[in-house]
Amino acid sequence: MLGLILRRLVQLPIILAVIYTLTLTLAWRIPGNPLENPEGRRPAPEVVAAMKAQYRLDSFSSFYWSYLDNASGIKFLRDTLSGRAAEQARAAEAAGLAPPDRLVFDLGPSLQYRDRRVNEIVSSALPVSITLGAAAIAIALVIGLAAGVAGAIKPNSLTDLLTLSIALIGISLPSFVIGAALLLLFPVLLGWGRIPSWGRPVDLLLPAFTLSLPFAAYIARLTRLGMIEQLQSDYIRTARAKGVSESAVLLKHALKNAFLPVLSYLGPAAAFAMTGSFVVERVFVIPGMGQHFVNAVQNKDLFLIIGVVLIFATMLVLFNLLVDVLYRWADPRIE
Amino acid sequence: MLRLLIPIALLAVALLAIVGAERPAPRADFTLINRGDVTTLDFQQMSWNQDLRVARLIGEGLVANDVFSHDYTIVPAVAERFEISPDGRTYTFHLRDARWSDGHPVEPRDFLYAWMRALLPDVAADYSGFVQHIKGGRAFSAWRTLALADFARAHPGESDPAAARELWDQTRKAFADLVSIRTPDSRTIVVELERPTPFFLDMVAFPGFFPVREDVVRRYELLDPATGRIKWNAAWTKPPNLVTNGPFEVESWKFKRDLRLQRNPYYWNPSVVSIDSISIPSVEDSVSSVMAFETGAADWVSDVLAPFRAELVARKRAFYAEHRAEYEKLKAQGLDPIEIDRRLPPDPRNNIHVFPAFGTYFWNFNCSRTLPDGRANPLADPRVRRALALATDKRAIAEGIRRVGEQPAATLIPPSSIGNYRSPAGLGFDPDKARELLAEAGYPGGKGFITLDLLITKDGGHELVAQTLAKDWERILGINTTITVQEIKVFRERLKNKNYMTARASWFGDYGDPTSFLDVSRTDDGNNDRAYSNPRFDALLEKAAKETDPDARLRSLEEAERILVEDDLPFLPILFYVNMYLFDATKLTGISSHPRGAQLLYRVDLFNDGKGTDKPLALPPRKPGEHPHQTHDGEPGS
Repeated sequence: MLGLILRRLVQLPIILAVIYTLTLTLAWRIPGNPLENPEGRRPAPEVVAAMKAQYRLDSFSSFYWSYLDNASGIKFLRDTLSGRAAEQARAAEAAGLAPPDRLVFDLGPSLQYRDRRVNEIVSSALPVSITLGAAAIAIALVIGLAAGVAGAIKPNSLTDLLTLSIALIGISLPSFVIGAALLLLFPVLLGWGRIPSWGRPVDLLLPAFTLSLPFAAYIARLTRLGMIEQLQSDYIRTARAKGVSESAVLLKHALKNAFLPVLSYLGPAAAFAMTGSFVVERVFVIPGMGQHFVNAVQNKDLFLIIGVVLIFATMLVLFNLLVDVLYRWADPRIE
Repeated sequence: MLRLLIPIALLAVALLAIVGAERPAPRADFTLINRGDVTTLDFQQMSWNQDLRVARLIGEGLVANDVFSHDYTIVPAVAERFEISPDGRTYTFHLRDARWSDGHPVEPRDFLYAWMRALLPDVAADYSGFVQHIKGGRAFSAWRTLALADFARAHPGESDPAAARELWDQTRKAFADLVSIRTPDSRTIVVELERPTPFFLDMVAFPGFFPVREDVVRRYELLDPATGRIKWNAAWTKPPNLVTNGPFEVESWKFKRDLRLQRNPYYWNPSVVSIDSISIPSVEDSVSSVMAFETGAADWVSDVLAPFRAELVARKRAFYAEHRAEYEKLKAQGLDPIEIDRRLPPDPRNNIHVFPAFGTYFWNFNCSRTLPDGRANPLADPRVRRALALATDKRAIAEGIRRVGEQPAATLIPPSSIGNYRSPAGLGFDPDKARELLAEAGYPGGKGFITLDLLITKDGGHELVAQTLAKDWERILGINTTITVQEIKVFRERLKNKNYMTARASWFGDYGDPTSFLDVSRTDDGNNDRAYSNPRFDALLEKAAKETDPDARLRSLEEAERILVEDDLPFLPILFYVNMYLFDATKLTGISSHPRGAQLLYRVDLFNDGKGTDKPLALPPRKPGEHPHQTHDGEPGS
C-alpha cells in the first residue's frame, strides 16, 4: 500500500510536466492576442509589444522555461538557497518598497484579471469547487444507490423502468435547464434560497443537486447492473436459503460487491465534480473553478489555462490514488 | 461498508466548515450587478465599463461630469476651480482641500504620478491617447519606448538591476522635462496642451486621469532587471493597501464573490452621499442577474442581456398602453423618462428602463483593394458599399429582430447626442437606387460579384442580423452570400489583419465630442479595421483639430461624418444602441438616463431608508420637440 502511494507520488511531477508541455503547446496556438479586449479600443502596438515582453509572450521557449522555473518551485528553492531572496527583501526594505511576493509554486499573473495572480484565483476557487463537488457526489451516491437497488430488485418492473428513465433524463437534460428551472421555482417563485447561491451551507443544496444529477444517473446504472449480477450468484442463493432477511441480502451482501464498480467510477467522477462545472457555477453564481476552464481559453489567458489544467490533472491523479487505496481497504482480495 | 462511511463523514464536516467560513456579509445599502467582473482597480489600466463605474465611486478627478444635465456639464471636483487660457491651450487647476481615504491631502504630485503611469507603454493603458493630448505626452511615451528598446539591446538576456533602476530614474526625469505640466505651488496644476482641445475637460473627468496616491503606490513598483520595464505588484489595488480619494473606499474585494465599498470618511463633499455601503456581487449570467433582481438581492442591473429582454420591453409597452392618458400627459411635460416611471402607478412591469445609449451598431466593410486570398475586392468601390447600405432594411432589424426599442441608424454618431453638432442625413432604404449603383459599379443584377462573406461572432445575437442582411442583399442586389461564425479572439485577429469582407462591429463614444467616433476612421488609426483611407476625410479632421472657433470646428466634423455616411460608407450603420437598466424607480433615485451612461452611483438614494434627502434626481425637463431624435423608453420610434 505504501509502495503504491509512493510510486504514484513520484509519477505525479512527470505526468504534470508532460501535461504542461502539451497544454502550453496547444494553448500557444490559440489564435488571437491575449492582451487585447474582445470589444472596443485596441491598445497601441508599442503597448502590446511592451506587454508581450513583460509576460515573455514573445517567444515560446523563453515562456516555456521561465514558467516551468516559477511554477515548479525551482526558482523559489534557488533564490532561497543562493540568498538572493533575502538580498532582494533587504534591498526592497532599504528602498522603502513593499516586500516582493514570494510564492513556492508561482503560477504567474492572470492576463484577464489584471489585478490577480493565478495562485490567488485557484486558492479562492478550488475550496468552493471541492465543497460543491463533494456535496454533489454525496447526493449522487444517495440517489444513485437507492435508484439502482430499487431497480435491481425487480428488473424490467415499473419501478425499474421509472428509475431508468429518470436516470436517462438526468444524463441528457443539460444542467443550465435544470438549474434555471430550480432557480425559478425555489428562490424566485417560492422565496426559498438566494442568488448568488453561495455562502451558507443551505445555499449548497440547489447547485449541488443540479451538479449531482448526471453522476447520480450513472451511479444508478452501474449499481443496477452490479446488483442484478450479484443477485443471481450462488452466494446470494445460499444466503437466502439460510433464511437471511431480504434487506440484509440486498444491502449487506449484494450491494457490498455491487458497489465496487461504483467505487472505481467515483475517482474520476469526484475529480470532475470537484474541479467545478462551468454551467452550474454560472447559473447559480458560484465562485468556483469551472468557469475558468472555459473563460481562460476564450480569452487566451495562458497562465490561467495552464494553472487550471495542472490543478485538474493533480486532482485526477490524487483521486484515482485515493480510490485505489479505498478499494484495497474495502476489498482485501485486491492486491 | 461502514468502514467507508467514517472518512466520508469526516470529509463532509470539513467541507461544511469551508462553507461556514464564508458567511455572506449583510446586505449593503445598495447592490448593483455589472455586466462582467471588475477586472482591475488600477485607474490607468481600466477600459471596461464595469471597472470605470467603480473608479467613479472610489476615485475622483480634477473635474467631473454632471450626469443629471443634458450636456454633461463639467463641474469642479478635486479642483475647486479652473481657468482656461484664451487660446484654449493652457488649463490651470486650483485644488481644494480634498483628502485621501487615509486622511492625507490630495496633492498635485499624485496627479502627476498617475498621468506619468498612463503615458508609460509598460502600463499598457488603452486610454493613454487621452493623456497624450498634453504637450510632450506623446514624445514622452515615444522616448520611453525607445529607451526600453535600447536597454534590451544593451542587456540581451541578462539581468542588471542597477541599470534598470537608473533607467527608471531617467524616465522620471524625462517626464518632468518633456511633458508640459507645472505645479507652481502645492495647490495648483498648470497643464499645457499640444493644441486647443475643446473636449479636454471631458477627458480629465475620465478615470484614466484620476490621481493615485504617489507615496503609497510607489512602494509597489517592481523593476524587471532583465528588461528595464516597470510593473506594479498587484497587491496595491487590494484593500487595505489601496488608498483612494472618491466618495467611497474599497472595504473588501473577494474574487468572483463581491466588491464591497464603504464611505470614505475623509471625502470633501459628504452631503451628496446618501448611502453608506455598496455591494457589487459578481454575476455573469444574464438570466441569473435578472433573477437576482427579482428576488430582491440586487437593486440595479446595469445591462439587461437576458434572452427574454425583448419580452420585458414588450410588457413595459403594455403597461404604458394601460396608462396611456397619464403617460402622455407626463411625457408632454418633457420629463426625464425615469421621473415619468416614478409618477406612474407602481407595477413590476415598469422596472425595465430603456434609454438611447452613446453607441452604434454597424457593419464593417473591408475597403482594401484586394482580399487576403489575392482576389480583387469589390467592396473597394464606394458605389458598391453605398449600394449595400441602400439595400438594407434597418427598421426590420431593429423592430423585427432586436425588438428592444433601438432606432435604425443612418449615421455613426447618435443624432442630438452632442451639443450643437448637427448630424448629416445619411442614406435610407432605397432598393431601386441600390440596384442602379451596383450596375454602375459593373455588377448589374449582381452579375460577376464574388460571393460576399459576412463575418460574425457566436454570441450577441449577430446571427439573425447577418441572415437578414444576407437575405436583403441576395433579394435586392442578386449577390450570393455566406455567413462565417468565429470565436471572438479569432474574429478580432481577422479584423485587425483585414482578413474579411464584411463583419459586425460597434463603437461607443468615450467623451462628448464627434472626434470620439470619427477618429477611428483616420487612415493610420489603430482601430481602423476597415483599411479605409480618404485624404479629404483626414484633412477635415486635421482642420478641425487646428480650428479655434468652436462652430467652424463642428462644421468641419459634420462634413467629415457626411463623407463617411453618405459618400464612402466604410461601414454600414444599422442601429443606435440602448442602455437597458433594471431597477424600481419608486424605490430609489440617482440613476441617470443620460445616453452617455456614465453613472455616478454615489448619488444613489433609497427612498424611506432614513438616509439622505429622498429628493428625486432627474434630468431637467426638455421642451417638446427639442430633440426629435430622442426616443422614449423602448417605444417604437416615429
